[in-house]
Amino acid sequence: MSDIMLHIKNGIVIDPKNGVNAEKMDIFVKNGKIVEESEVSGEVKTIDASNKLVVAGGFDMHAHIAGSKINVGREMRPEEMRTVRLIAGKFRASIGRVLLTSPAIGYEYAKMGYTTAFEAAQPPVGALHTHEELDAIPMIDKAALPVFGNWHFVLKYVAEKDFEKLRAFIAWALERTKGFGVKVVNPGGVEAWMYGGNCKSLDDEVPGFGVTPREIITALIQETENLNLCHSVHLHCNNLGTPGNYETTIESMKLASKFSNEKRQVLHVTHVQFNSYAGSSWRDVASGAAEVAKYVNSVDNITIDMGQPIFGHATAMTGDAPFQFTLHKLTGARWSNKDSEIEGGAGIVPIAYLPKNPVHALQWAIGLELGLLVDSDKVVLSTDYPNGGPFTEYPYVMAMLMSKKMREKELERVSPYVQKATNLPSIDVEKTLYEVIHMTRSLPARVMGMDSKGHLGVGADADIAIYDLNPLEVDPSNDFETVYKAFKTAVYTIKGGEIIAKEGELVKEVWGRTFWVDARNKAAMDAIESDLDDMFEKYYSLQRVNYGVEEAWIKKPERLVMG
Amino acid sequence: MLILKPKFDFEVSVEMEITPSVAKADEQEIKDFEVYYGKKKVKLSELFEIKKEGDEAKLVLEGDFSKVKWVGTRMDEGEIVVKGNIGDHCGAYMTGGKIVVEGNALDWLGAEMKGGEIIVKGNARNYVGCAYYGDMTGMSGGKITVDGNVGNYIGEKMGGGEIEIKGSAGDFIGTEMKDGVIVIHGDCGFVGGDMKGGTIKIKGNFELVPGFKEVEDGFEGDVNAGGKGKVVKIA
Repeated sequence: MSDIMLHIKNGIVIDPKNGVNAEKMDIFVKNGKIVEESEVSGEVKTIDASNKLVVAGGFDMHAHIAGSKINVGREMRPEEMRTVRLIAGKFRASIGRVLLTSPAIGYEYAKMGYTTAFEAAQPPVGALHTHEELDAIPMIDKAALPVFGNWHFVLKYVAEKDFEKLRAFIAWALERTKGFGVKVVNPGGVEAWMYGGNCKSLDDEVPGFGVTPREIITALIQETENLNLCHSVHLHCNNLGTPGNYETTIESMKLASKFSNEKRQVLHVTHVQFNSYAGSSWRDVASGAAEVAKYVNSVDNITIDMGQPIFGHATAMTGDAPFQFTLHKLTGARWSNKDSEIEGGAGIVPIAYLPKNPVHALQWAIGLELGLLVDSDKVVLSTDYPNGGPFTEYPYVMAMLMSKKMREKELERVSPYVQKATNLPSIDVEKTLYEVIHMTRSLPARVMGMDSKGHLGVGADADIAIYDLNPLEVDPSNDFETVYKAFKTAVYTIKGGEIIAKEGELVKEVWGRTFWVDARNKAAMDAIESDLDDMFEKYYSLQRVNYGVEEAWIKKPERLVMG
Repeated sequence: MLILKPKFDFEVSVEMEITPSVAKADEQEIKDFEVYYGKKKVKLSELFEIKKEGDEAKLVLEGDFSKVKWVGTRMDEGEIVVKGNIGDHCGAYMTGGKIVVEGNALDWLGAEMKGGEIIVKGNARNYVGCAYYGDMTGMSGGKITVDGNVGNYIGEKMGGGEIEIKGSAGDFIGTEMKDGVIVIHGDCGFVGGDMKGGTIKIKGNFELVPGFKEVEDGFEGDVNAGGKGKVVKIA
């Protein structure tokens, strides 16, 4: 955080949270926050933003940027490490094609005007390592979501219907892992896979526990709401990547119907593109995006993110071990499995999305369908980095959402299969610049419950991006190339009041904060003490006293206490 | 034609992605051509005596170039003559033209090359015509001839073209090979592990991995990988 005062002059501001749509405004910054004009005096640095777009820093709420998965990915893909982005000098060396090294992740987000990114799946037993890696990412604010859906404690308490203990366990786990919220990956399915199975429907029983995904999801939503966490349950649905899975997705979404929260959604369903397939096999697979969009639009307690594939290299990595094994069988590509004791698992498979491949083209089209058909107040832009592709291509997705012309041009180079299997060619929707800014800033901040992020109102963090784009003059529908280019490289990226990148060049290395959620005062923590001792004694490879992350071990921790 | 002679003995390696096309540029441009000397970016003229004779796309390297890497990488035309030894990655990714090495070559000779010809009069080391770590296909076209001996991992993941070794080779020849031909006139160690296609012809002694079955004209495998590769003994 900087004590330099800034005056961003004459910019054209889009700030959806505060209802500001392309208004010429001045923004003032002091002590890393946005303040009223009267607050700044004396030595103020002025930035001339005339005819430029001024928005809050980008917020990537679902990316895999730290933890054991991405590291295994880096190990098994030496070919990813041949792209040199920056040789050592004033800044650290950074390399990587799509799978970037930790410094490269921070640098590339910063160049693009993004200032916050959340790690979307942290194996709890790997929490310390995850935080060490997050601490190696400069420039951005961070947080991590530990995975709960296959953790033996969760399965046990759900089976016993002991929700008080489940609540205390969530609070305990968030504190120990310095986690931000409840992530669920293929609930029950990853545990079932340890016995060679999977949970294909919401009513498949998890072997050895006598519980079903339906019960796990419902109980986790219920206790997340009882703890009143910042963020809702963050669900990676069962049956991911399987033709016909859109029905499972909608059925999972329906589990949220009996819950409500005034401030935010009660269920966030993630990278929905991978969960919106119709058809019965890869031969007749088609898009189920329209049905999913219809359901999401009809309710007000669910949000989703796109999981948009980008043509080119990617690396599939999820806590969904059975899916990764299926993908490896399907593509014949390398595969690595990652077990995390009694908590879950993960898998990694290299992949390249090819425009002429019918399935890849279909996935690409479905992501866009979701982005276009779902109400802009409910869908966040994401590529599920690095599963769908590099986050550095967010500008491509933004431009595509705003321009039918660009989509028509792109459709010419993809497999004609999308013409019959999706609605994309006939969708006329063109999102506005205002909507796209919402989908990449204010909405993800709201979904994650971060009041100080994603907007430019007084009191917000001074995370600001300035782009060479005049919203009053540009026509995103026709000038899609200009829009793409402008969002690719911010003219200025300001983090906590400091200029960190300018016109694609790094200016200063700063260290963002790591947010974590403390909800222990909302639960009877003593209730689970003996269970914890017992389970660690019996099943863990390490002792309870050595488990977890102390706040002092994190570079810049920020504890959010749940009231 | 461009003639390069090292000005001094290099202490660290030189990363020099130079192709014969450079010889067509004007003299100043050639002198300013940037290469890495260790971690430093330097001009070609700082390391080499440069002599230009005409505009022909030909490079002559005189002296010891064993610390000079990436010569002829991605070249598509012309000729390189090395009157001495050459360093790693010579002719990697090349698509056309010809490289003649009168001395020895080090590792990664013609890695992932797609076309053109490489002739080494001395020995070469490991990974001739290989795929780089993580890549799916090694050499896929062109021809590499080595008059002397070579090391291990020759033609790994090879997808086409021909490698001819007039001396002997080490272990793991044609591992995961998919297509193309490897000819070895001398002896070698294990051949054909996980081989899927292509042919390996050997005149001397060799050891076969267990996944091969005997067929009429030699051996076929690797059956563990469902492969239809051929290992043939030649006279």
